[in-house]
Amino acid sequence: MNIEEKLWNYIDGSCPADEQQAIRSMIASDEAVRLKYQELLDLNAEFAAIEADEPPMAFTYNVMEAIRAEQAQKPLKAAINKRIILGIALFFAITITALLVYTFAHVHLAPADINSAIPSALKTMRAQNFLTRPVVNGFVFFDVVAALFFFDAWLRRKKKLSSI
Amino acid sequence: MQSKLSDLELIQETLGGNQAAYTELVKRHQRFVFTLALRFAKSREDAEEIAQDCFIKAFRSLASFQGQSKFSTWLYSIVYTTSMTFLRKKRLNTDSIDDENTYIQVENQTSAFDINNAENKSRSFYLNQAIGQLLPDDAAIITLFYKGEQSLEEIGRAMGMEANTVKVKLFRARQRLKEKLERNLKQEAKELI
Repeated sequence: MNIEEKLWNYIDGSCPADEQQAIRSMIASDEAVRLKYQELLDLNAEFAAIEADEPPMAFTYNVMEAIRAEQAQKPLKAAINKRIILGIALFFAITITALLVYTFAHVHLAPADINSAIPSALKTMRAQNFLTRPVVNGFVFFDVVAALFFFDAWLRRKKKLSSI
Repeated sequence: MQSKLSDLELIQETLGGNQAAYTELVKRHQRFVFTLALRFAKSREDAEEIAQDCFIKAFRSLASFQGQSKFSTWLYSIVYTTSMTFLRKKRLNTDSIDDENTYIQVENQTSAFDINNAENKSRSFYLNQAIGQLLPDDAAIITLFYKGEQSLEEIGRAMGMEANTVKVKLFRARQRLKEKLERNLKQEAKELI
């Protein structure tokens, strides 16, 4: 460490007490060191007097406007209060439970007659009856739209993360 | 009335939904944040963009501010990272102080200062000119130390460095600033003769 570095540390007060004492005596005894110390003191005062730059007049307004605009753009799902969602969930849970209780209370469970035959008119369900061409087309179309929607959402999220 | 509140109190108010408190925080720190951004960006337009971006980022992450350090230290760390990202985007090499290209680039930027009349120039003008010629890291350390009221440890926290590294960098930055100031003053004296 050269003398200039030591003097700067002394000026900043970032050197240990014993070193401070040593530098103090050097300044007192050595004329060259004293001159250097005075020069650095002047520089230090000059550096401390550097003026901070003034931002434009509308700076605060622009920042707050940008924040307001960002908040206004928040997606709906982020703006919804979680309590509302919980309330809706609770309503459905109570309704379903009440319905189940009511149903079971009115059902008379009697042992089945083992000998009774299955009615011949009972029709079995066939998948082919439901999987018609328009249904399949509609299903595929829906899947494609859903896939594109999720892909778009994923890309937006990725872009947002990379911009932070 | 709000200006009497501390930074921490203003943060609590902001988190409670009072945006006016954040306006107060911005007003309180904007001058220094802008100055620090200007050390990296060199143009006022870019510095304004960086500073604005910093305040928006700080607002977004305000809830994560633990209060273990000063708000200003936390804010300056955002300024530093945002400015570094800005520089990276601008493809400026700020790593090596001996980089010839960077030196030329920085030297060229200073020519814009020469348009002022000699008689209007004061010592502080030359000092600002010399700071403008420093590399961004050096200029930022000088600014943080003298204008940001930050200790070496706090500067280290803001810039992601050890306090001892900051100490060495501050010493070198001061030396370079002194050299550039002397060179500029000599140059001016020659021009006047």
